[in-house]
Amino acid sequence: MKQIQEAYIVAATRTPVSKRNGMFRSVRPDDMLAHVLRSVVGQVPGLDASEIGDVIVGCAMPEAEQGMNVARIGLLLAGLPDTVPGVTTNRFCASGIQAVADAANQIRLGQADVMIAAGTESMSVMPQIMGNKVSLNPAIFAKQENFGIAFGMGLTAEKVAEQWKISREDQDAFALQSNQRACAAIAAGHFKDEITPYTVRTHVPGEGGTVRVIESLCENDEGPRADAAIEKLGKLRPVFAARGSVTAGNSSQMSDGAGAVLLMSEAAVKRYGVTPIARFVSFSVAGVPPHIMGIGPIEAIPRALKAGGLTQSQLDWIELNEAFAAQSLAVMRQLELDPAKVNPLGGAIALGHPLGATGAIRTATIMSAMQRDPSVKYGMVTMCIGTGMGAAGIFERV
Amino acid sequence: MSKLIIRKVAVLGAGVMGAQIAAHCANADVPVVLFDLPAKDGKPNGIVDKAIASLKKLDPKPLGSKDRAQYIEAANYGSDLEKLRECDLIIEAIAEKMEWKLDLYAKVAPFIRTDAIFASNTSGLPINALSEGMTVALRPRFCGIHFFNPPRYMPLVELIPTKTTDGQMLDDLETWLTTRLGKSIVRAKDTPNFVANRVGVFSILAVMHHTQQLGLGFDEVDALTGPSIGRPKSATYRTADVVGLDTLAHVIGTMDATLPKDPWHGLFQAPVWLKALIEKGALGQKTRAGIFRKEGKKIMVLDVAQQDYRPSAGEVAPEVAAILKNRNPAEKFAQLRASAHPQAQFLWAIFRDVFHYCAYHLGDIADNARDLDFAMRWGFGWSMGPFETWQAAGWADIAQAIQADIDAGKTMVNAPLPGWVFARKGVHEAAGSYSAADDALKARSALTVYGRQLYPEQVLGEAPKDRGETIWENEGVRLWTRPDQDARIGILSITSKMHAIGSEVLDGVIEAVARAERDLDGLVVWHDAPFAVGANLMQVAETLKAGQFDLLERTVDKFQRASMTLKHAQVPVVAAVQGMALGGGCEFVMHASHRVMALESYVGLVEAGVGLIPAGGGCKEFALQAHQLAQRAAGGDVYLYIQNSFQTIAMATVAKSALEAVQLGFAKASDDILFNPHELLYAAIRRARAMAEAGYRPPMMSRAVTVAGRNGIATCEMMLINMAEGGFISAHDYTVAKAAATALCGGEVETNARVSEQWILDVERAQFMALLKNEKTQQRIVHMLETGKPLRN
Repeated sequence: MKQIQEAYIVAATRTPVSKRNGMFRSVRPDDMLAHVLRSVVGQVPGLDASEIGDVIVGCAMPEAEQGMNVARIGLLLAGLPDTVPGVTTNRFCASGIQAVADAANQIRLGQADVMIAAGTESMSVMPQIMGNKVSLNPAIFAKQENFGIAFGMGLTAEKVAEQWKISREDQDAFALQSNQRACAAIAAGHFKDEITPYTVRTHVPGEGGTVRVIESLCENDEGPRADAAIEKLGKLRPVFAARGSVTAGNSSQMSDGAGAVLLMSEAAVKRYGVTPIARFVSFSVAGVPPHIMGIGPIEAIPRALKAGGLTQSQLDWIELNEAFAAQSLAVMRQLELDPAKVNPLGGAIALGHPLGATGAIRTATIMSAMQRDPSVKYGMVTMCIGTGMGAAGIFERV
Repeated sequence: MSKLIIRKVAVLGAGVMGAQIAAHCANADVPVVLFDLPAKDGKPNGIVDKAIASLKKLDPKPLGSKDRAQYIEAANYGSDLEKLRECDLIIEAIAEKMEWKLDLYAKVAPFIRTDAIFASNTSGLPINALSEGMTVALRPRFCGIHFFNPPRYMPLVELIPTKTTDGQMLDDLETWLTTRLGKSIVRAKDTPNFVANRVGVFSILAVMHHTQQLGLGFDEVDALTGPSIGRPKSATYRTADVVGLDTLAHVIGTMDATLPKDPWHGLFQAPVWLKALIEKGALGQKTRAGIFRKEGKKIMVLDVAQQDYRPSAGEVAPEVAAILKNRNPAEKFAQLRASAHPQAQFLWAIFRDVFHYCAYHLGDIADNARDLDFAMRWGFGWSMGPFETWQAAGWADIAQAIQADIDAGKTMVNAPLPGWVFARKGVHEAAGSYSAADDALKARSALTVYGRQLYPEQVLGEAPKDRGETIWENEGVRLWTRPDQDARIGILSITSKMHAIGSEVLDGVIEAVARAERDLDGLVVWHDAPFAVGANLMQVAETLKAGQFDLLERTVDKFQRASMTLKHAQVPVVAAVQGMALGGGCEFVMHASHRVMALESYVGLVEAGVGLIPAGGGCKEFALQAHQLAQRAAGGDVYLYIQNSFQTIAMATVAKSALEAVQLGFAKASDDILFNPHELLYAAIRRARAMAEAGYRPPMMSRAVTVAGRNGIATCEMMLINMAEGGFISAHDYTVAKAAATALCGGEVETNARVSEQWILDVERAQFMALLKNEKTQQRIVHMLETGKPLRN
């Protein structure tokens, strides 16, 4: 099959991102999803929702509260028509950007004119970070080449730090910068346009057997630390290796959040008279050894650029998911990415990383940047992926 | 027994003592309201909230398990006094200021029910004067209740009646404290600092005095006044640092102010160096510097002559150490006196002056010599009280030696020894202990609660206790009964050193159970603490050295059979547990039909430390528990319940209380937890009797245990590979932990396979034997035997 038309992003939004067991600790991921779906559809007045070809939702641990095909449940809860289908997709940390690419491709192939891509993830609802039930295949331990499958993500970051010689000092400095950039961005109101505030309703025991509902409006990301300081970061102990360098301070935060993106074909854009924000340019994924999964973008970024017919220097804004400072720096150094263009508003170390939602959330960030700043022509969302992959998706401002 | 019912306690004052007393009540299933002042800013209960939070961080732990903190309700004097009406016992534990206490009493009195008990934890203020601050109606139910720090661990509580305290109330309170909180009670008189602190602080002053006189170093004195003379490891100066030098100076100041007629009064002064430290703000542990100071890993000690810290290195001189090793107390004291070594002179001097002081004051401060001796054991951790030490060393000889030193002007003061000292041959006799006030022997308390203590702690010279009737014994165990308690409930006592479990113990257990099945109605496994420190490693090492693996395998098999014999005996087997129950000891605990446990039980499967896994059925029991728990969970996944026990075994986690033992799965929620270890045997015999009467049937061997199998092992391995790659564990740690995972998951069978209990035992034994044959495990065993410490290889 061949691309027959372009896909455009016409609207994008996200929830604020909560720390794990933070302001969203009792918020269900299907509710967060419904919330962003309602909001993104609402951004195109007059949209006939029944025209939505599919709702593709990224989720890295699609089980329990976010199981049972959370995409379909979320869209029904959002009040979209029964006729709109939904599918949950999983490429771990790239699930959200994968959803955007899949939705764009449906349009590019002429199979739909209106699509929604989204991501939702609550790490608070997971009793264990690896899901409700972890069960490994014994075959992994039969062959040394497969051990990497069993490595925790932090351990892979240690391996990357070792192989790419990323010092503890550099990791901590990067983490500090992420926090500083995020705090500055919040202060400047740069996230205001992309965030749809979320009202959390917490049910607690009240007087005389009644249940009291406490409402609190959440408007900002919870992760960034204004008090981050290099001395404090330097005091944190390595978590994943006895003599390692990866700490809680220079790793991404575990978080809860959701994001959604509305895509249209050119025909639909015209029909509804909307002004598209960006054109979907290209998307690539690539595999790397599982024990150094953090370098995934080193393979994925050049492929995505090639597919889009671009050079790296043409990129103006790069959302590189900061799974760990170690792998972010390894990727940036090896590809010689311009540090000024990478995560200008801070990254996952400060803003948080709700796994499968991150791709959709950061797409919303780039859309917002393109609307705010005309000099941003090409933007990219990229990340490393557990068990050894990388993904990169590129957008062009229109 | 008393019918005093205490449904709720209030503790006034959330300082170190108040919060910890509250914690101990919560341990004992007594809800507590903990009061303090309303916070000036923030939440009104901020002060108490903070105190409760810090209980979870303290070490040694005041809480038997962290979740107990929920039973402590925070309150403040500003808005919550109404809550006092619900409380049956109110313990006041605020700062030691008479005016503050009286102010508080006036404030709370209207809210205290007249049938409640109000008691002050003051350590030195006059109780009668405090009582006068109470309303007349409340005075009969007012007394002193003096806990020692840390209150969970120090057995002593001094109860101090006033002139108006109701006698029955005091008996009831003593009963409750003894059995519910597990405390050891001494009735004290209303004299300054009561009994233990009066003698204990004097002893510290004597040590300080003679340290200076003989020019010894603080580190040297601590080496002399610790375990080598039967006192705690923190000895004298380290204890002072822990207590706080300002607190110590305050207590000395109290003695100075309140004991003007004490012949030793002139010596109740803080030494110049102590005052200087306090002025500098070096108050001990809480300010990270005091008499001792840590510099990195080095411990430094204050050198008074140099006016500076130097590395701490003090040791007992070899010739003095040789004297202290002498097991004959009379010879030991004679040698100390005769030696010209300053350390020996020092030791004689501090013993002599404490003897002198105690003899002089016995009549004023304590009812009898036993109370004073117990106060020092229970409140200061001395292995023997001063009078029993004196009596053991030869009463008359020591008396003469003290007199000679008084005459020669060597004692701290020249107050005469009281006449009774020379009229007697000792203070402790079979008939009782000497009361100087009454010039008579005093028997032990006749309170009913003490009938529950079949083997109470005794002072030297008391009549020996009934050893019961032996039914059968070998070199490892004794099977006996206490016909006065129950002639048909057997008592199985392990008699080996530290109650280590060797081959002869295993034979003994199997034989004892057979006899109990034949001739008795039930069996109790009981002996003094520790319950058991595990398998006899020495025996294992010797057999290993001889290369007798067949014999070793037969012994492991016998271990499993012994455990299974306990579990499947036709009569109930009740394990009465106190102190350490480690390794094989823990497995016996797990296999008993029921457990009667002292709160202070330290239970764990620690085999990983010597490169082994539990193979006396410990892994099997956890696999069985997982199966049973999973049956009650939707989906029935076994692995969820394996994961925690895997970590418990792999990390050799030891429960730090009976409450934690239940949480970790070594004991059951239906087991009995007793706070007074001396009541264990009494309760266990009755528990066994009740189980027998209720138609006890042993559990059957399961033939269908669902196990986690291959996927379970792989999932455990995921944790291991991350720890190994991260450099947290060695390759051999990995091997050992994987063996544990294999046994816990029932071997390399399919996940959710159903296997028999015996199959899991076979897997456990095979894994154990494979480890025993591993050179690295053998190195660990040898290292443990040689150094007493685990080897990380």
